[in-house]
Amino acid sequence: MFPLIAGVSLFSMTQILVAADNRPSTPTALPTLTPQIPLEVTSTKNPPTLDSLQHDFDVFSWQSFIALNWPANADGTPNTGVTIGQATNSPVVWESYRESRDIFLPGGAPPAPWGQESPLPPVCKNIDAKHLPPGTMHLTQVGKTPNVLDESGEPFKTGPLIDQNGQYARFAILTNEQMFDYIDTNKLYSKSGQKAFDANADFPSSNTKSNQVGSIMIKTSWVKMGGKFDPAKFYTTYALVYDNPAEEPGVKPSCVLTQVGLVGFHIAHKTASEPQWVWSTFEHVNNAPTAGQKPTLPAYNFFNATCTSCKVNEPPPRPWNPGTAYTQPTQIERVIAITPDAQQLNAAYHQALAAVSADSVWLNYELVSTQWPTNAKSKTDPTGVPAPSFLANTTLESYIQGHVKQTSSSCMACHNNATTTTGNFSDFTYLLQRAQ
Amino acid sequence: MSNDMDNFVGLSVVLTGFSREVLAPDLDPVDIKSEYLPVFTANVTKESGDPSLVADIFQKYAMLQSQTLTPQQIGEAMLDPANGEAFVLACRKLIFMWYAGAWPTIVPASATAQASTVSDLISAKAYTASLVWQVMQSHPMGDSNYRYGYWNKPPVPLSDYTGQ
Repeated sequence: MFPLIAGVSLFSMTQILVAADNRPSTPTALPTLTPQIPLEVTSTKNPPTLDSLQHDFDVFSWQSFIALNWPANADGTPNTGVTIGQATNSPVVWESYRESRDIFLPGGAPPAPWGQESPLPPVCKNIDAKHLPPGTMHLTQVGKTPNVLDESGEPFKTGPLIDQNGQYARFAILTNEQMFDYIDTNKLYSKSGQKAFDANADFPSSNTKSNQVGSIMIKTSWVKMGGKFDPAKFYTTYALVYDNPAEEPGVKPSCVLTQVGLVGFHIAHKTASEPQWVWSTFEHVNNAPTAGQKPTLPAYNFFNATCTSCKVNEPPPRPWNPGTAYTQPTQIERVIAITPDAQQLNAAYHQALAAVSADSVWLNYELVSTQWPTNAKSKTDPTGVPAPSFLANTTLESYIQGHVKQTSSSCMACHNNATTTTGNFSDFTYLLQRAQ
Repeated sequence: MSNDMDNFVGLSVVLTGFSREVLAPDLDPVDIKSEYLPVFTANVTKESGDPSLVADIFQKYAMLQSQTLTPQQIGEAMLDPANGEAFVLACRKLIFMWYAGAWPTIVPASATAQASTVSDLISAKAYTASLVWQVMQSHPMGDSNYRYGYWNKPPVPLSDYTGQ
């Protein structure tokens, strides 16, 4: 049975040509760049095939990436007066989302209402917002930006990731307003609230009939700028980089205002036809070469071609301490190659972005793939039989790449195990486990 | 005109009792059939010493399938001893492969031991995709797509697993 791929296309699919055999072919027109977040995937082939749907989901991912990284107004809405790539260093849409640290507060305290500021860790209080570097105006919107990067271990705690400057990569998880509202309304931000709720979580999905955006989670990874990293090659922001003593034994609290560059970007979007969510992942093009292939770039963010003794895809030895001035970089390779079709789609979107600005930083980001349910309504498999079976971002699942079930990274297979603190199903998010 | 894969899947549906939607869904990211067909072809050819046996089996199935017969009738016709020992054994091994994710080898009786069957797991994917777990309405050891606390509820009906 085919999954129900219903809904209204909110983006132009006419620009991607379909060949006589109904396989996507090289586009002759550029994809449309729009700030509209797509609400559902539209099948471009009838009947759809695994390949055609993968392509359609990948288009959905790119359109989502474009919309979420669109320059934003002060209230987080897209600034339709400019196009992505035109307003360098201005905040983008997803930066108005709420960072997990600001939702799950000590003692289970209620989070600040959407759009209001949350308190910074006390150790960051010495940062004077009046003396920030140029280009950090968005940092003054403290509650609306992911202004504190306090996670130095990968989201699944498989280990930290050390860049070619010997610095710890940093991570942040955010939710959009719809997802935040569900958590806030149902008091799922605290253990006591979850106990009173005592049911499976069911976050709102996007709805094409009401034209409502549903729940979206963003997971990001960052490296400090400078050294081997040229800020002109990254989407950058200024962030308070916080060494959190709660993360690892021996870590001393520290808070430093630092320019950071985006290297990894997950989007999880719950739609009506994909209750297992649609899982998209993007990376900086310089992150890592593909295993088994000759490195093609002169330098990588997480790989050193001259290091023949470096163990590949292994976390650094303990003790892990993000406060260390320098740590031996990790050696990362991509285990599962990006498919030719995704590469072709990346090229098409890069062309469209380059048409806006030849030196757009967004030319340096590529789609790895999209995981989606092939049988969303399966009665025997609550993961909906994902395709592809495995999907990993080299910066977010560096050490669990591969093809082994229950061991290698699969967004849906892993998140299907997520529960609240009471053991109820938490609707594919581990965030609710952070409640105190 | 059906090809080997069509006949292999059709024959597998008949002999296993599972639906085509379960064994070879239209959207099939697991695609275990593409792993099983070469194993079946190579092993049957090697063990029988008959390079045309697999083609004969598929041809017989296609002929039966073109007639107005029920799956039960087709299955019985495929397992009819009149087809020959190697033919029937190949069909039985096909059933074993789908259910166990492994290829069976029959060890003849000796002076000191009874005949027995040993099997070689085809792959890690075959282990998790084997139908025995579906029949058990359960999951392989070390591999579950069920959610935390699933054991607190009865499984869905067997028909949801077999698709029949």
